[in-house]
Order: sequence, then C-alpha cells, then structure tokens
Amino acid sequence: MAPAQVQQSKRTLIKGAAAVVGAATFAPQLMAQNAPVRIGYTMARTGPWTGGAQTSQEPNYLLWAEQQNAAGGLDVKGTRRKIELVSSDDQSNVETVVRTYEKLMGSDKVDLVLPPWGSGANFAVAPLANRYGYPFLAPTALSKKLVDLKLPYFFLLLQQPASMIGALVDLLKSQGVKTAAVIYVDDLFGLENYAALKEAVKGSGIRLVEEKSYPGSTQDLSPVLRAIKDKNPDAFIGFSYPPDTILASKQSKEVGFNPKFYYASVGTAFPLYTKVMTVAGAEGVMGMGSWNTKTSPGAKAYFDAHVASQKKEPDRWASGAAWAGLEILTNAVKSVGLDRKAIRDFVANNTHQTILGEIKFNGSENVGTPGTVGQWQKGEFEVVWPPARATAKLITKPKW
Amino acid sequence: MLVMTSRQILIRDLLVLLAFTGWALALPAYASEFVSSMALTCLMYVALSSSWGLFCGSTRYLSLATSAFFGIGAYTSAMLLGEFAWLTVILIGAGIAVMVAILMGAAVLHLRGTYFAVLTFGMTELILHAVTYFEKSVTGTVGRVLMVVPERETIYLTVLALAVLAVAVSIVVRRTRFGLALLAIGADEQRAQTLGVNTRLVKVAGFALTAAFAGAVGAAMAVRWTYIDPHTVFNPFIGFQTVLITLIGGVLTLWGPLLAAIIFSVLAESLRLQFPQIYLMSLGLLLILCVLYLPGGLASLRWATFKGWWTDCREWVRDLKRDLSGEKEREKQRALKRARENYFV
Repeated sequence: MAPAQVQQSKRTLIKGAAAVVGAATFAPQLMAQNAPVRIGYTMARTGPWTGGAQTSQEPNYLLWAEQQNAAGGLDVKGTRRKIELVSSDDQSNVETVVRTYEKLMGSDKVDLVLPPWGSGANFAVAPLANRYGYPFLAPTALSKKLVDLKLPYFFLLLQQPASMIGALVDLLKSQGVKTAAVIYVDDLFGLENYAALKEAVKGSGIRLVEEKSYPGSTQDLSPVLRAIKDKNPDAFIGFSYPPDTILASKQSKEVGFNPKFYYASVGTAFPLYTKVMTVAGAEGVMGMGSWNTKTSPGAKAYFDAHVASQKKEPDRWASGAAWAGLEILTNAVKSVGLDRKAIRDFVANNTHQTILGEIKFNGSENVGTPGTVGQWQKGEFEVVWPPARATAKLITKPKW
Repeated sequence: MLVMTSRQILIRDLLVLLAFTGWALALPAYASEFVSSMALTCLMYVALSSSWGLFCGSTRYLSLATSAFFGIGAYTSAMLLGEFAWLTVILIGAGIAVMVAILMGAAVLHLRGTYFAVLTFGMTELILHAVTYFEKSVTGTVGRVLMVVPERETIYLTVLALAVLAVAVSIVVRRTRFGLALLAIGADEQRAQTLGVNTRLVKVAGFALTAAFAGAVGAAMAVRWTYIDPHTVFNPFIGFQTVLITLIGGVLTLWGPLLAAIIFSVLAESLRLQFPQIYLMSLGLLLILCVLYLPGGLASLRWATFKGWWTDCREWVRDLKRDLSGEKEREKQRALKRARENYFV
C-alpha cells in the first residue's frame, strides 16, 4: 500500500470517528426532537357525564391529534413532533379526575394536559393545574366562581352567564317581550344563570311571572309547565341540562304550552335534540349556542373534518369552544414551544384567531366573543343574536 | 391444630394492624404520587367498610346511610375549614354525623330488613335536598369552593389514622359487652331483649359509632374536591360501594373489609385504565359469586374451602364424563333391566 493511500485511509478513519462522536453528541437531542409530545387527559366514557363528554369534548381531542399527526406532528417551534394522547376513563367521578391529573402532572410529567368534562371536574383540577404549572384551556366549564378564583393557568372558553343571558334579554327586549317564566335546575349552573337573568331583566320592561327551581334528577316537570301555561307568558326560559331540556320540551308539547319564545340551555345545541324532537318539532326552539358552519370558513372546515373523522356532528356550542381552545394551544406551542409558563403567557397576553372569531382573555374569562343565542331553523342551529354574529334571522316559534 | 386464646388473638390482631399501619405510613415515601393517592382512596374505604361492618355486620341491619354521613362530614368541612383548625373540623364533622345518626336511629331503628335499608337510603335523599334547600334559601347559591386546603400529607395521615382507628375499634369492641350485645341483636333480637340487653340503646349507639367514622372520613376527603355540591358528596355510590366491599370481604370478619377494600381499589383502578366498561359488570359478577359460593366473604377463605371446591369440581367433571360417554345412561338401563328381572322373580 502506498504511503499516500495509508494517509488517505487514516484520514477517513479520523473523519469517521469524528462523525460518530458528533452524532453521539447530538443524537439524544435529535431523538428528543423526534420523541412524541405526550398530552394527558381524563374523560367520562362511563357514568352520567358520558353523553356530554362524548359529544362536545373527546371527539375534538381525537380529531385534533389525528389531524396534527397526519400533518407530520405538532409544530413545536418549527419541529414537527407526533402527538401521543395519554387518556383514561374517569367514570364521571371527581375524585378519580383529581387522582388521575395528579398522576399525569406529578408522576408521568406529560408535556401538556387537556381539561376534563364539566364545571365540577374543572373546579377540582383548576387549583392543581396552578400548582403544577400546566395551562388549562377549558371548553366545558361555566361558572363565575371559577373566574373569581383568579388562577393564572386556567382559561375558560365558554361565555359566562352575564354575557350569555345579557344577549338573551337583549333579544327578548328587541321583540317586545313583556312577560317571561323561568325554571332552573337547583345547582351552580342553574343558580348562576338565574342570578344573571334577575340582574339582566332589571329595567328591561320584562316581568318574570314565574320563577321555579327543580332538582337535577327530576322526572316530571309537567305540573310546573301547566302552572306556567296558565300565566301565559310571552317567553319561556329554562336553565337546564340535556335530560331536563328534552323533558321540558316534550312535556311543554304535551300540555300544549306554546309561548312565542322558547329558550332552554345545555342540550339544545346538541344534534341529539333534533333527533329526539325531530327537525320539525325543534323548529324555533332557542338555546345557548355560539357557532355553526356559517360562522367562519374555519368552522365549516372543522365541521366537515369532524363528521368525516368522528362519524358524528359536533354540537353548536361547546364543541366550537373545545376546537378553538385546541387552535389556541396549537398556535402557542408553535410560537413558544413546550415551555408551559411561556404557553400560559402566550395565551393570556394575545388575541387569538379561532373558528369562533377573536378570543382574548381577561384573567380566566373569555372576553373576545360575545354572548349569543341560537335557534333551530330547518335542522340547523342558527345564531340569531347579536345581529353582528347572526347567521340567520330570528323566527317566531311555531306551535309544537 | 393450634388453638389460640382470646388474649393471643387480640395480640395477633393488634400486631397485624401495626404491620399494616407501618406499611401504609411508609408508602408515600417510596411510591409514586399516583400510588399514594390510590392508597388514600383505599384507606378511605377501609375506614368506611370496617366501621360499617362493626354495626351492620354484627346486628344484620343493612344501612345505606353511609353516603349521608359522609356527605354531612364533607359539607361541614366545606363550611368550616376557613374558621377552625383541621382536626377540629374533622371532629365537628364526626359530631354532627353522630347527632344525625342518633335522631335517625331513634326514628327508624325499630324497623328491620328491607324497610330499614330503604328508609336509610331515603334519609340520604332527604338530607341531600334539605342541604340544597338550605344553601339556596340562606346562602343563595349551591356549591362551595374550598381554597384553603391542608397539605396532601396531612390528608393522607388523617385518613390513615381514621382507618387504623376504625379497625382498632372493631378489634376492641368485639371483646366488650357492647360488642357481644350487638352480636346478640344480630342472632336474635327478641331473645337478647329478654336476657336484659337494652337493644334500643345498643343499636342507636352502634349506629352512631358507624356514623362518626363516615362523618370524619367525609370531612377529611372533602378537601380533595375543591368544589363541593350536594350531588357530589351525597353520592349514593359511596354507600353502595362500602356495602359491597364489606359483603365481599366478609361482614362478620375483622380483616375481610380491609382486604376487600385493598383488592377493590386496585381492581377498580386497573380495570378503569384498561377496560372502562367492565368495572361495574365485574363488581356485580363478584358479588353474585360471593353470595353463591362464599357467603362468609373473602376472609372466610381457608385451605379447606379450596379443597372443597376442588372435590366438587372433580365430582362434577366425573359426572359429566360419565354422562357424555353414555355410561350413565347404560347404568340406568341396567338398573331398569335388573328391576324388570327382579319383578318376575
């Protein structure tokens, strides 16, 4: 072998060795960059919360992970990393929710967490989120008290009672409504909304002719509805959950109670509502709602993707909020990476473009999107108030 | 076979309890947060089911009021935590539960069987709606937020202490006249009365003792929720689960409820993560199997029980084999033939 060649091969060897050392130095970093982003949550798959959780929340998490992974992964400050969802059933049990989030944030140390279903569970994890420093963008929590806790890591996407009920009262006022009857479920949700209504009707010229609360497990509302029918109010307002929303609607029909404006709360915006009441039967029924496919091009794309991937329609209220939360989270991670403090600051200090429009937070409260009223019209839950966000004109409710 | 004297059994039980306590004390130090929080649930059910078994096991009064007392404790803690010290709050929780139990006991403890069970369940509902009504009309809102809560370690130690106390009380009460009176009521209430036991007093006292533990546990566990509303804390499932655990573990035994509480918690947790839908089904199945094949509960399992099952199984298989091979049929035919032949003899 010629000396030159020896020299050559030696050089190759050194080069190779340098490459190996170099690779060994950077490999862990490269590996870390390719490691999946672990995102944990619990969701009700059994127990009383299942219906709502599987309509408004979990399908969105699954769709989001699917979409991001199909695009090569979640964009973490320019690097695509796959999403790995770490999830379990919480059996609709607050204690289990607490226990599991402690595990996710304390022992498993997942990169990010997504919120559980419902106000009660969110109340329980909100202080935890703060202690461990995990930003929470909750789509299905609704309470002024939660806002009053002033937890820096907690953000509520749904509009709170004051703005939601303010919109309803404005709408009723604009229609010349003089009398209204209200029923509300006797828990935090019902009471807070009822309190907001009492506040909103002051000086509006609307008189409440009947105010009745009922226990959440109620099986029969017809006596109350009959009493209300006798007083013949222009509008009916129910602060209710899906089972009682449907119960009240069915029984109003049975007793022949036909006010010009019929408003109920959770469940009206669910596809389930038209399934049970039929499209014709739901015509003109109003409820809490905030979006549909006409709200924005993004909303249409989201709706179609949801139907294609999850084989069911999203609801027209909290589903949109859940998706908007995921959009905000995606953008935050894209801009600041997985540093959770930085994500929190990004969420708190920016105005976010989402399918629902501009969202921004004052403390924990979403003050970007206004309170809205929705109404079933020919099988679509149209936004009818405020006029600036309306996707259709308000109609007077035909008889049941 | 070794026969232990009562004193030796007492020492054995206390030693076992000491060992369990030491283990539970050491757990948070080496186990992950998740395991310790699971242990907390486990300890909660140990306290609930041991104290439940103490009264309901020996007197055979099936009480479904556990969730009522638990909820009372929880609500007390939600209302008073800001104003009193932690231990005071727990004591007050237990105290209020005892008062309610005495009232409730005086009203319904003369009823037996189904009536008693249904009434205690109804009482829970009554208290739930009473609390809701009180909150609505007095404070104007339902649900309370607990912001000032003690450290996790404090909660763990408190529930551990309650669990140990519940088992210790069970150990001791069994050896007192009071415990014997409870057992006598379970065996034959009228005879006990004839023999001079003040059954009414004993029953109310026993019921109140159970309630004290449930109330204290409720007060201690409430802080895990942050937000308390009547429907969460007066959750009937807590009462049902306590009954199930005690029945499956063995109502009359000392260690059955403790054992079953541990098994349950581990089972519930692993099933929840793997097969969420199966948990309740397996619970039901376990109960049915227990009632059919192990009426004394898990704690009554002995080597002889397994041997008994094994013999039964073999017997059954042998029988099945004979049946399938046609041997049984042939035997029957032969017997018939013999009978016919004998007839003519």
